[in-house]
This record gives sequence, C-alpha cells and structure tokens, in this order.
Amino acid sequence: MTFRKILTPHIAEDDCHTLNFYQSNGGYSQAKISLKEQQPDDLIELVKAANLRGRGGAGFPTGVKWSFVPKSSDKPKYLVVNADESEPGTFKDRVIMEKNPHLLLEGILICCKAVNIQTAYIYIRGEFVFAAQRLQQAIDEAYDAGILGNDCLGSGLSVDVTVHRGAGAYICGEETGMLTSLEGDRGQPKLKPPFPAIEGVFGCPTVVNNVETLANLPYILEIGAEAYCAIGPEKSPGPKLFCVSGHVENPGTFELPMGIPLRTLIDEHAGGVWKGRKLKAVIPGGSSAHVLTAEECDVAMDIESLTAAGTMLGSAGVIVMDDSTCMVDALVNLMRFYHHESCGQCTPCREGTGWLEKIVHRIAHGDGRMEDLELVLDVCDRMVGKTICALADAAAFPAQSFVTKFQDDFVAAIQNGGSPAWKKRHPSAVGGAATHG
Amino acid sequence: MADQQTNDDTVAMTRWQLNGQEVESPTGMTIMEAAKEHGIEIPCFCYHPGLSIAGNCRICMVESNRSRKPVISCSEKIAEGLEIETESELAVSSRNSVMEFQLINHPLDCPVCDKAGECTLQDHSYKHGPDRSRFVEDKNIRHTKELGPSISIWGNRCIVCTRCIRFCDEISGTSELCIVERGDRSVVDVFPEIPIDNQLAGNTVDICPVGALISHDFKYEARVWNMDRKDSVCGGCSRGCNVEVETLDGFVKRLMPRENLEVNDWWMCDEGRYGWRHLYADDRLSQATRDGAALADVSATAALEQLLCESGPVAFLIDPYLTCEEMHLVQGLAASRPGSSVGGWLPEDGNAANFPSGFTISAAKYPNRAGAELIFGDQVFGDDAKELQKSLVSSDFTTVVAFCGGHLSSGPGESWAKSLSSTPTSIIFSVKNGPWLEGASLVLPATAPIEKDGTWINEDGRLQRTRSCWSPGTEPFSVELVRLQTLQNALGIRGRSLSAAGIFRELAATHDSFAGHNHSDLGSPGLLLSQRPAGIAMDGGSE
Repeated sequence: MTFRKILTPHIAEDDCHTLNFYQSNGGYSQAKISLKEQQPDDLIELVKAANLRGRGGAGFPTGVKWSFVPKSSDKPKYLVVNADESEPGTFKDRVIMEKNPHLLLEGILICCKAVNIQTAYIYIRGEFVFAAQRLQQAIDEAYDAGILGNDCLGSGLSVDVTVHRGAGAYICGEETGMLTSLEGDRGQPKLKPPFPAIEGVFGCPTVVNNVETLANLPYILEIGAEAYCAIGPEKSPGPKLFCVSGHVENPGTFELPMGIPLRTLIDEHAGGVWKGRKLKAVIPGGSSAHVLTAEECDVAMDIESLTAAGTMLGSAGVIVMDDSTCMVDALVNLMRFYHHESCGQCTPCREGTGWLEKIVHRIAHGDGRMEDLELVLDVCDRMVGKTICALADAAAFPAQSFVTKFQDDFVAAIQNGGSPAWKKRHPSAVGGAATHG
Repeated sequence: MADQQTNDDTVAMTRWQLNGQEVESPTGMTIMEAAKEHGIEIPCFCYHPGLSIAGNCRICMVESNRSRKPVISCSEKIAEGLEIETESELAVSSRNSVMEFQLINHPLDCPVCDKAGECTLQDHSYKHGPDRSRFVEDKNIRHTKELGPSISIWGNRCIVCTRCIRFCDEISGTSELCIVERGDRSVVDVFPEIPIDNQLAGNTVDICPVGALISHDFKYEARVWNMDRKDSVCGGCSRGCNVEVETLDGFVKRLMPRENLEVNDWWMCDEGRYGWRHLYADDRLSQATRDGAALADVSATAALEQLLCESGPVAFLIDPYLTCEEMHLVQGLAASRPGSSVGGWLPEDGNAANFPSGFTISAAKYPNRAGAELIFGDQVFGDDAKELQKSLVSSDFTTVVAFCGGHLSSGPGESWAKSLSSTPTSIIFSVKNGPWLEGASLVLPATAPIEKDGTWINEDGRLQRTRSCWSPGTEPFSVELVRLQTLQNALGIRGRSLSAAGIFRELAATHDSFAGHNHSDLGSPGLLLSQRPAGIAMDGGSE
C-alpha cells in the first residue's frame, strides 16, 4: 500500500483551510457517522486497537488515556487540546492548525463523542497568532454550518470549542502546567496524582490530547484499526509529521509513515545536509531528546527504535547540525532556553538549569575548567527524575549527551580559551579557569 | 481532633516497611507523617502541617519500591506493601543534591540575617548539605523590598517554597503574595500597589523557612539564640492564642505563636503579635505612689497593708485580665472583710474576625472573663458591677481596691474613674497612667497580661497556663500574686506564700468548677474546664 498523506494532504492549495474545501474532500463525514451511529465504548476500543500513540512527545496510547476518564461522574468533562507547541525544533501542529484546521475540529468531535465531552479548549501557543486566527475562522465556520454547537452535524449532541491563547511559557505545554494556566493561575505543573483524567481542569475529569493526535482520528475511523496499524511499525503506527530544521537544504514539515529511516528523512525529503557539508549531529525529537552523532543516525523514526537508540521520538522535531557546528555553542543556546523556561517551582530544576547554563556559557567564553565536564554530568544526574514535571530531565538530556558524545568540542573550548565563534569575535581574549567563587 | 486519634480500634492501619522494618501506621497518612510517628524525621522546607502540599522543595525525597524515581514523602501516602528507604544511597544523594541546589544562589549572609539560629536552611545544611560549594559562578540577585507596612522580602534568600503564598491563599484568605518571574529568578512579591497588610500577615515571617521574609518589628533586634523563651498565652483577646514570649536581657523582643490545634493552630494575629509594645510605652506605670508621692516598692506593700487593715468593708473592682489565681486571692480578701463586695469592669468590644481557615479573632479584647464569672459568679460584670457602682456613688464604701489592667488606654472608663475618685480611700492597681488614677490614695503598678503567671480561661472554656515574660528576680515591682498574698498574711488569713501553682491548688480545692485541675496537668494545649485530667483524684493533684 502506498502511503497517502492525511494530515497535510492539500496544504499547497490556497483555500485548504476553509470548510468548503475540507468538506468537498470528504471532511466531517467520519465525525457525522461517529456522532450519530457509534457508541463511545466502541470508539475507545477502535482507537485502542489502532494503537494510536500520543503525538505530543510521550507517546502514551490515546485510547488507554481516554478509558481512564470515569464514565460515571456528575462533574462535566473537558477536552483540552494541547496546541502549545513550543519544543524547540517542532512545528507540526502549527501546520495542521494553519492549513487544515477542520481536521483538528473533526478529531475533537470524535474524541468528545468517545469520552462524552461537551466542552473543548484549544490551548494554543501565544506566538501562534496566525494559527489562532485560522482556528477561530474554522470554528466560526463550523458553528455557522451546525458542525459545532448545540446540535453537532444533526446528531443532537452538543460540543463547544474555545481557543485559549497562551502567554508564551514553554512550561504551559506540560499538561498540568497547561491546565493551571487555563484556569487562570500561574502556569506551573501540578503534583500527580490526581491525574487529569480524574481531576483535571477546574477539578473535573479532563482529556489532554495533542493536535496531531486528534487529527489522526478521522482517518482511523475511515480505514479501520487494522489498516491503520499496517502503516509503519506495529507498536507505533500511523502517519507522522516530521519537522526538519537546521543545516539542511530543504527544511520543513514532512508527512511520512512512522518508522521512516532518519537518513531517508534528512537526505531525500529535507534535501540533505546543506552546502555540501558533512553531517555532525542530529537531535531527533525536539531539543529535549538526547543528541545522535552522525554515526548513530541509521535509525528508524519511531518510538521504539529511537528509545532503543538511547534517545526519543518526542515531538519529532529533527534538528540537523553540520560539521561546522560547535557543540559547545549549540549547548549554550539550549541551556539558555531551559534556564529561561524553568518555572522555578522545584529546586533541582530551578537551580540546576541556571547552573548548567552558567557552566556551559563559561566554557564557551573561555573560562572553562576540565573539571567542569564532570560537574555538568553530575549536575544533570542530580536533576533527572527529581522534579514534578519533566523539564529538568529535558534540560539534562541534551547537556548529558552533548558533553559525552562531543567531548572533543568541549575539551577544545576549554583548552583554546573558548569556542571558535567566541574566539573569532574576541581575538585578543585570553582564556583562563574561573578563579572567583 | 485529639480524641478521635486516641481510639486506636477505629483507625484502619496500613502495614508497610520503613528502612527494612515492618511497621504499621494509620491508613491515609503520608510517608513523612508516618515516618515521624516511628521516630524518623524526614527534612522538609515547603511542607507545613497547616498548609496544602506543594511538593516543590524536593528535600523530602525517599526511595520507594514502587517507583523508579525517588518519591516525595510529604505528598506520597503509605500503602500496604510499600517499602521506603530514607537512608539508602538514592535517598541520601537526593537530599544532598537538593541541599546543594538550594545553596548555590543563597547568600552566605547568616551573620546579618535575622533568621540565623532558627533557619531551616541552616539546620538542613548542617545535616544534609555539602561542606563546600562547587558553584564558582556569580550568584543571582533578586529584589529586596518592602512588601507591606510590617514585612520586607530579602529576595536573594528566598528558596521559593511558597509557604507564605499558600498561607495568604488558604489561612488569611487575602492572597496578597505571589511568585514573580520564573526559574532561578523566581521570588516572592506583591501585586502592584497592593501591599501585604492583613491581620495575620506576621505569620508569613514565622513560617518562612529562611530569612527571606523579615518582620520590620524584629529586624536586627536580637540574635535568636541569645533570647529567653516563655510559653505564654496572648492576652489580647478571649481567644487566648498560645504564644512564645521571647526576651533579651529582660526585654520582650518578639511574640511567636505556639502550636495549639485546639485554639490557634500555628498562628496568631498581628494585633496580638505586636501588642507587647505597650509594655514599654510612655504611659506605662512602674512607680507606686501614695497620695501622689513616689513610694519605694516595699513601702508600697506596707502602705497597702496599712490601708486595708484599717478599713471596714471594701469594694473590689476587678478586671478581666487578672489570672484565676489573682482572682482567688481577691476573693479571699473580700471574704475576710465582712460586708465587702466585688464587681468587675469590661473594656468595650473591639473587632472580631473570622478567617477561611477557621482561625478567629475575638471581639472581647481581654483574656479571662470566663474565669472571673466562675470565681465571682456570672453577674460579676453585670448586676454585681452595677450594684457596686451604685454603692460607690452613694458612698457606701470608704475603701475601694481597683484593678485597672490591660493594654487599652481607656482603662476602666470614665464612670468608673469618677466612682473611684469619689471614694475616700482608693487603692488602684494599674498598668498604665490614666485619668482613673486621679485622686487615688495608693497607686500600685500592675502586671500586663504577658507579665502574669497563672491561668486564664478562654472563650471556649479552655483553662490555659500563661507564664510571665519576666525571669524570677528581675521583676521591676512586686507582682499582684505576691502583694495580695503578703496582704493576706498581714490580715492574718494566710500562713505562707505560695507559687501560682499553689494558689491554683487552693482554688481547685474550694471551687467545684476547678476541682480536679492543677497546673502540671494542663500541658501545653491546656484543658477544657469540663475535661478533668484523667486519673487525678478530685481532692487535689500532685505538683
């Protein structure tokens, strides 16, 4: 069976985001069937059978997540769509929301039917102004056409969808952080349990799903679980959006079957490493994933294969670095990000992210000491697995893998008085170990 | 609350393992609480028994057989079959890591920090922290500013535990505080132009585990290890919050709430907390006078004896600040002068307040109305007082002994002041100088509430022990407890002088309401008067 794009089939067309276009290509037909004819339990079983894995980063089975929501609860239930796509290197949900927003809405309707939900919030990253406008247009169209609202698609069911724009915090992409932010509080992750499925937004049972996850639903209904499972590897099947950025000729978002070889993705779809240079490193799943060396890049892009390779599929944000890259400077950039974005709640993350940035920054700027490499690794060890959410891990993973896999770059920066780029800008600077403190 | 827990039969128990030992704890307890019951203190910063669980400091991480990662013992509950290690390599290294992280940006300003000596960070650092720093970078700088009229923040010291924020959200219900900024720039702040100014604000300083929140009242006043501490009770209102009075060289420096889950939990109001200032106010009376002329303390007692020995029936005017022991002595005096009568005065009600947490401030701004009504009868401030005032006005008495205590500048009020000055011989015990002393024959300095040693009965009928902030031998004048006993000696109705506990024993032996009680059995939470100590015979207790 040849692979057919479902998430981004017509994104080159000018009016691909309109209801008209969407419906003329068969849109909302699956939602119509499921809303009118299918039982919630059957839908959940179907999604379980299709083995749809969450596309936000953790890869949790979507059907299983839905089944955690208590069926008998006198509280309202909510769907919160995680559209706070802020993982560096990731721009897949944005494409769906800008180019194919009705696909997301159809997925929302199917999820609401399956879990018996009447209110959905789309928590969208604040910087995605255009995507938020497109989404709102699509929602308005859907209300006008009777697709959303009190009698969705003539089914008698009611579903309301609201777009909520974030204010620019990475941590609000973490599910409990997102829920507290949606409630109007400072966006900070919460202790689990209680899990959102039991006690989520406004203290009510809540399903939190990623945009791309929901966008897969109409297709699963269309072709059935068995056919869906046939796309890509058995354990994490389906079409997948891969974002390729960095030193490639043709960066962009590519819809391909799960499990495509990383080299194929880079060389064939993204046009290969740019300027005829050689590959040095790839971050395969958003900046929080362990980096891969060029030698390690013969790996399939699916959850299991990347986990076996010691990294993760994550958000499938593939960041390619050529052989001109100084890994010290690259790490400074990443550490600055995590330091800036740590919510500051848990001690190891609050203090550790800042400490890591300071150490790596010092190495890049010519004040590194050989013992700093061990210190970085030790600080990482002290952060991983010791906090409420995974931001500390997300900061530690790149630091650990950069320092261990590209130790030569770090040693050179320490011995030569800074990274090549820094030395170029400060030719007269004399490096030396930090003496203060 | 305490009653429910003593009945072990009704509490479901969970079996679990603590450091390899099979133990049992009440179901539903957190690991931290349950471990504490088994003698293992797990360190904490953000946890406070009176606040919701934040789980952010991470110092209480322990190793669990149910989790790959260390778990936080403040929020994780015990469960059947759970195995917890508090001293394993993972647990110890987790704790050490948190301490190192806490300290990297924390200033080493303990020598000038008011929290030093009672700082959780110091204590945990000593036990669990590294002995040197691996941090060679510049430390972060955060703001130092006033958050309100009585509190400032030293941002560099803040460890972002959010105890103060949760206090304002959950206990005072005023929500003035918040965290601003993110990551290691995070620091406690107030919203623009809304200072922290609530009636319970001072508690945020107490629960700050470090010296980040500083009370203006105590700033640079004393090193905490130099102060003496007395377990006392606040006399500011009828709630009777349990407090610790801290003194330096005999001077009160600070009042801190003392945990009593039956009365004030862990809190006290600012009115009570800062109320001690009146002790050293300009209108504080410390000098005895006879017809306006200063008297030495010994002569004052002699003058008192002389006036009383010569008198006929005496009018006694009491106040609701007297301890039960002082009242018992007054009653003894009244009984020894046939025809005497006793009435009392009450200050006007102030403002009451109720907080979402259940903490209350009483409108009755005095500590022992209940005690007075038990000893002198329930009309002592009612009909008896009216009767007394009437007879003073119609000059039925030639001698009056009045107690004008308390911290209010209004004293017993104008009409009582008039009645006192119209009585030929007026002996007035007073805390403050005021118009009620006009024309007094003998003025005796009196103890303010936290200078008293004895018991009070709060608005719930709880008998509580309060201790004087003075150390023995440093009293600036003879306290009422002593003077009244000396007087009883002179009048021939007492053989020897006793401590407050001894006087209380007499009271318990003569008053049914107090029967069975004694000082030593009151314990730190006190006892409801109706709740007699177990196993104590009705004919008196042991000291």
